[in-house]
Amino acid sequence: MLASWRAMSPRERREALAGYISISPWLFGFLLFTLGPVLASIYFSLTQWTITRPPEWIGLGNYLRMFTRDPLFWQALKVTTYFVLLSLPLKLVIGLALSLLLNLRVPGMNIYRTIFYIPAVISGVAVSLMWMWLLQPDTGVINTLLELVGIQGPGWFWDPQWALPSVALMSVWSVGGSAVIYLAGLQNIPPHLYEAAQIDGASHWRRFWNITIPLLTPTLFFQLIVEMIESFKVFTQAFVITKGGPLKATYFYLYYFYEEAFQNFNMGYASALALVLMIIIMAATLLLNYTSKHWVYYESERERGS
Amino acid sequence: MRKVTILPILLLTAVLVLSACAPGAPPQQTSGEQAAAPAAQEPVTIEWWTVNSEEYSEQVQRDMVKVFEASHPNIKVNITVLPESGFSEKMTTALGAGQGAPDVAFFWDNNWFPEALDLTPFIEADPDFDPSMYIPGFWNTRAVWQDKIVGLPLGVGAQFVMYNKDVFDAAGVAYPTADWTTEDFIDLASQLVDPSQKRWGGDRPRRPFRAIWFNYGARPYSDDSTTVDGYLNGPESVAAYTWLWDLVASDSTPTPADIEVLGTEGTGPVDLFMAGRLAMATLNQGHMLNAVKEGANFGVVPEPGVPGKERYVNAWSLTSSIWKGTEHPEEAWTFLSWWVGPEGQQYLMENGNLFPSIPSVLEKYKDADKEYAQAFFDILQLKQVSEWRVKHPCDGTVARAASDVWDKIMLKQIDRDQIQAELDAVVPAAQEALDECRERLGG
Repeated sequence: MLASWRAMSPRERREALAGYISISPWLFGFLLFTLGPVLASIYFSLTQWTITRPPEWIGLGNYLRMFTRDPLFWQALKVTTYFVLLSLPLKLVIGLALSLLLNLRVPGMNIYRTIFYIPAVISGVAVSLMWMWLLQPDTGVINTLLELVGIQGPGWFWDPQWALPSVALMSVWSVGGSAVIYLAGLQNIPPHLYEAAQIDGASHWRRFWNITIPLLTPTLFFQLIVEMIESFKVFTQAFVITKGGPLKATYFYLYYFYEEAFQNFNMGYASALALVLMIIIMAATLLLNYTSKHWVYYESERERGS
Repeated sequence: MRKVTILPILLLTAVLVLSACAPGAPPQQTSGEQAAAPAAQEPVTIEWWTVNSEEYSEQVQRDMVKVFEASHPNIKVNITVLPESGFSEKMTTALGAGQGAPDVAFFWDNNWFPEALDLTPFIEADPDFDPSMYIPGFWNTRAVWQDKIVGLPLGVGAQFVMYNKDVFDAAGVAYPTADWTTEDFIDLASQLVDPSQKRWGGDRPRRPFRAIWFNYGARPYSDDSTTVDGYLNGPESVAAYTWLWDLVASDSTPTPADIEVLGTEGTGPVDLFMAGRLAMATLNQGHMLNAVKEGANFGVVPEPGVPGKERYVNAWSLTSSIWKGTEHPEEAWTFLSWWVGPEGQQYLMENGNLFPSIPSVLEKYKDADKEYAQAFFDILQLKQVSEWRVKHPCDGTVARAASDVWDKIMLKQIDRDQIQAELDAVVPAAQEALDECRERLGG
C-alpha cells in the first residue's frame, strides 16, 4: 500500500486524500459505533458481567457452557434455522411473483405498488398485534373464514405445531419492500430481448426462465443475502406474541439473547451469544457468496467475456 | 483548482464532524416547571427519573415537584418522565456505564441494588425520619438488602381476585369469602361458566410459583438455593400443578389465546372482567380503582388458599433510591424522604391513585370505610411472596427451565397422572439453570 502511494503523482495523492477525508465522517462513525462495540462485545463474551458489577474474566467459560451445558442455546438455534429455511424461500418466491405482477402495464399500477409497499413501512409491533388478532383460533378472521368453507383452522400461534409456520406466514406480509427492489431489477432488463424471443416463438415460461431469471440473478442474490440476515434476526414476533412458546416452538435466538441480556443481566453470556450469531451469519453469507459464481450473471462480466 | 478542491471538502467534513459531536440542545423547560425562587445561594438541581403510571400520572408528579420546591427553595428537581416499558433498559444502561444515572429514581430491579446509595447514615442522622412508619412487610422486602437500606418503599400494590357480584347474583351462587380455597375456586368457576353468554367462570394464573403455589407450600428450589430436586418436583409443587391441571380441565377459564388477544396485555384480563365475560379475575389495585370509577358491582378476596397452610399475597412496593454516584446526596435524601415519606405519598394518594405504604397515611384514604378498601387493606397484611423471592432471585431462571410443564398443562397435552413424571424430567435442566444463576450472582 505504501509502495502504491509512493507511485502516485502528487495530483493523484491529493485526490486520494480528498476521498478519504470525504468518507472520514462515516469511517469515524463506523469505528465508534460499529467496530468499537463489536470489539467490546468480544471482550465481554470472555467475562462474567452483570452490568452492576465489574466484569470478571472467565476466558472461554461462556462458550463452553453454550456448547456443552445449555439446551436452550441449541433449541434457539434449531428454531431459528427452521424459520430461516421456511420463510426465506417463501419471501423470495412470493416477492418475485408480486414484482412480476407489479411490472404489468395496467391502469392505476402506481396505486397498486403503493398499496403493496405499505406493509413494509408499518412498525413490527403493530403488525404483530394485528396478526395476533387475525390468527386468534376462536375469534380471528382467518379461522372464521376457514370455518365458512368447512375447514377447522389450527391454533396458529398457540399451537406448538403451527406457531413457527404462523410467524413465517406473517413475515410474508411485508414482501412489498422486496417486490419494489425486484421491480427495479425487472425494469433494467432490456425489452428488445423479450421482443427478439417473442419473434423466435418463445413461450411466456421460456422468456421468464431464459431471460428474466438470469438477468435478475444479481437482484435475487442481493435479496437472498439481505433476507437471510433479517430472518436470522427475527425477534419482534416472539417478544410481542408468543414469548418464545408454546413449548419453546418460537424460541428464537435473539429472543434468548434478549432474555439473557435484559432479564437475567447476563451480559457476558449474551455477548457470547451475539458473537456466535455473527459468525453463523458471516459463514452463511460467505457460503452464498462462494456459490454465486455458479448462478449469478452480471451483465458486465458477460460483455467482457464476449 | 487543486487547492480549491480540498479546502471545501475539509470545511464540509469539519462541519459534519462538529455538528455530530456538538452537545444536544438543553432540555426543554415545560410550562409546568418553574424556576426556583431566588435564594441567597444557587439552588442545587437533582435529577429524578420516574414513570407515567395509573397510580401517578406525569402531571400529578410534576405538580408534586412544584409543591416540594415551594417548601425547599434550595433544591430544584429536574424530573424526567419515561415510558414504563423502556425504564429498565435506560436505567440498566446508565448504571452500567457508571455515568448519566439520575440522583433519585425507582430501583425496582434487584440487580440495580449494588448501585444504590446506602441510606442508613441518612436515616440515623435524620431525627424526623422513622422507618417504622412503613408497613413492615414492604420495608423488609423493598428497602433492606444485604444489611443495607437501599431505598424507601413507595406505595403498595397487590394481586387479588375480583368477583362480579351481578354475575354471582344472577346465577344464585354465594360470593367467595376471604378464607376460600383453591378447590372452591374451581367449583365456583365451573358453576359460573356460560358458553351461551360467552362468559368464563374465572381466569388461570399467569405463572407458577406465585401466591397460589406458595399457598400450597411449593418452592422452585431449596432455601439455600442449592437444590431443585424435591422442591420443583416435590409433593407441594405437584399438588399446585395438579390443581392447575384440574382448573384447565374444567373448561371454565379462557385459553392463553383468549387472554392474550382479548385481555389487556401484561396486567391481567381486566377488559374481560369489566365486560362481564369473566366472573372472577386475578387483578390488582389499579384495576380495582378503575372498577370503582366505572361503578362496577364487585367484591375483593385474596387469592384462594389451601386448608391448613399459610396464605400468601403477591404484593409489591416500588423501591425508590438514590444512585451511589450522586454528587448531591444530602439534597437527594431530602427529596427522597419527602417524596416517599408521608407528605409525598399523601399528595399522590389525594391527587393520583396511589395506595401509600405508610399506614398512618393509608387510613386517610377517602374510601377507607368502603368494603373494597377494607378487603384490600386486609390482603396487604398477608405474608408476601416477595419475602422469599427477594432472597432467591434465581426463581425466574428455574421456572423458565420448567416452563414446558406449564405449557403442556395449558395445552392439555399431558394427563393428570403424568405431572410428577414431567416435573421429574425437567429437574436436571432446572438444576443446571440454578447452578449457573447462583454462580453468576456470586453465590
